[in-house]
Amino acid sequence: MMSDSALRLVRRPVSTLLTMLAIAIALILPAGLWLALDSARLLDAELDESATLTVYFDADVGESRAMDLAAEVGEQPGVAGARLVTAAEGLAEFQQTLGVEDALSQLEANPLPASVVVTPDATDPAAMQSLSQQLQALDEVDEVRLDLAWLDRLQQLAALGQRMALALALLFGLGVLLVVGNTIRLAVESRRQEIEVVTLIGATHAFVRRPFLYSGAWYGLGGGVLSLIILVLGGNWLASPVAALAESYGAHFALPSLGIGNSAFLLLFSTLLGWLGAWLAVGRHLADIKPR
Amino acid sequence: MIAFEHVGKRYGGRFEALADINFRVERGEMLFLTGHSGAGKSSLLRLVMRLERPSRGRVLVAGHDLDRLHISQVPYYRRQIGVVFQDHQLLFDRDIFANVALPLTIQGVEPADAARRVRAALDKVGLLHRERALPIELSTGEQQRVGIARAVVNKPALLLADEPTGNLDPQLSADIMRLFEDFNRIGTTVLVASHDLALIARLRHRVLKLRDGRLVGDGEAA
Repeated sequence: MMSDSALRLVRRPVSTLLTMLAIAIALILPAGLWLALDSARLLDAELDESATLTVYFDADVGESRAMDLAAEVGEQPGVAGARLVTAAEGLAEFQQTLGVEDALSQLEANPLPASVVVTPDATDPAAMQSLSQQLQALDEVDEVRLDLAWLDRLQQLAALGQRMALALALLFGLGVLLVVGNTIRLAVESRRQEIEVVTLIGATHAFVRRPFLYSGAWYGLGGGVLSLIILVLGGNWLASPVAALAESYGAHFALPSLGIGNSAFLLLFSTLLGWLGAWLAVGRHLADIKPR
Repeated sequence: MIAFEHVGKRYGGRFEALADINFRVERGEMLFLTGHSGAGKSSLLRLVMRLERPSRGRVLVAGHDLDRLHISQVPYYRRQIGVVFQDHQLLFDRDIFANVALPLTIQGVEPADAARRVRAALDKVGLLHRERALPIELSTGEQQRVGIARAVVNKPALLLADEPTGNLDPQLSADIMRLFEDFNRIGTTVLVASHDLALIARLRHRVLKLRDGRLVGDGEAA
């Protein structure tokens, strides 16, 4: 029965492919957004690592005193790591990143204070805020810098993105149901005579329904496979410009791929959607077919 | 086998297709149902097949009160009766073998067993050599015989036929009727609706005569 329903689809390759393509396109949008979110989450993870506080000491703190102070900061609760940046290192870093060697060489004394880059245990905004206040209270600390507003915004953006992906997934899942439902409705209509005959000679509803459910599942599976292929092809197509763009910012960034687990989930999901769409359509239209 | 008790059938609340029909058919009987077109032959057969329910009275078939039969039981009930249709209702996208096997496929009969029974039924109607042909390649008479093979492949206790010879010439019609008599001889109850009065008269079986939805005659053809 299952191979029979597959054969039926193969016998009409164009219309089958069109249906599967419609399903694939409906699946690609939420899957693509999910991937984009996933890449944002990757960024987020990297940002978490770079979510640090910078503790600037008073300008008159010397190099050896700065080392003692850095050790003191490192022992504070909530601090995972502390890296000392001496005044001289700070100046060198500054020159390197900004390319202002000439201008700085005009200065008689190093205007930068020594600083400590602190990696916190917890990176959520509230914990970082309290850690910042705690470090600020230490002696000979001039200023503690952290960019909370930016972290906040990023998290809100991620939450928004997640909701949008969910809404799109629901919307396009409904789209898949309708596409499959309509296709199955036409299939039921075109096999009306067969349905009437088998009903006359004692077929149960389940028997009549089964091949259509298989067809729906095949459509869903085919659409899922097509959407995976399109996602991979599209990813490859975008990969080199994305890499070039990242390169120009001096970053390494590769587009994420779905991976085996998520691909399997997508296929399962699309197959189930196809099955469900067929089930809804057949249930509705079989009731209309009564043997004459 | 069949009992109609004060059966009436109205369509749309006005048109009275059948009125106060009473008769009994014993197991192993063969009989004809006759009358002009619109007299109610098809309505009566549809009631026996449980395609419709009577507006009044009771229809009992093989011990089932059809009005009390739950909708989910109807398919299983229909498997006990073989039906031959005037337009034979074959499926044109599959071969003769698959058409005859259809009732067995529906019941999930094991393929080897099904194949044996299909060949036996095809042999009975003389079409064993055509099992791989498509219905379209057969003559009308052959198609009707395929329809009969499909109706009997299940060895039903009751065989219904609705105008089985409607599109056939007299010689073929006689052949078809002889087939029904053969099945009757091995114990199958056979009910044939037909308006071919000349043919019926020659066969000397019990005849139910309908006129305007009423049973006006019950007995051997005169």
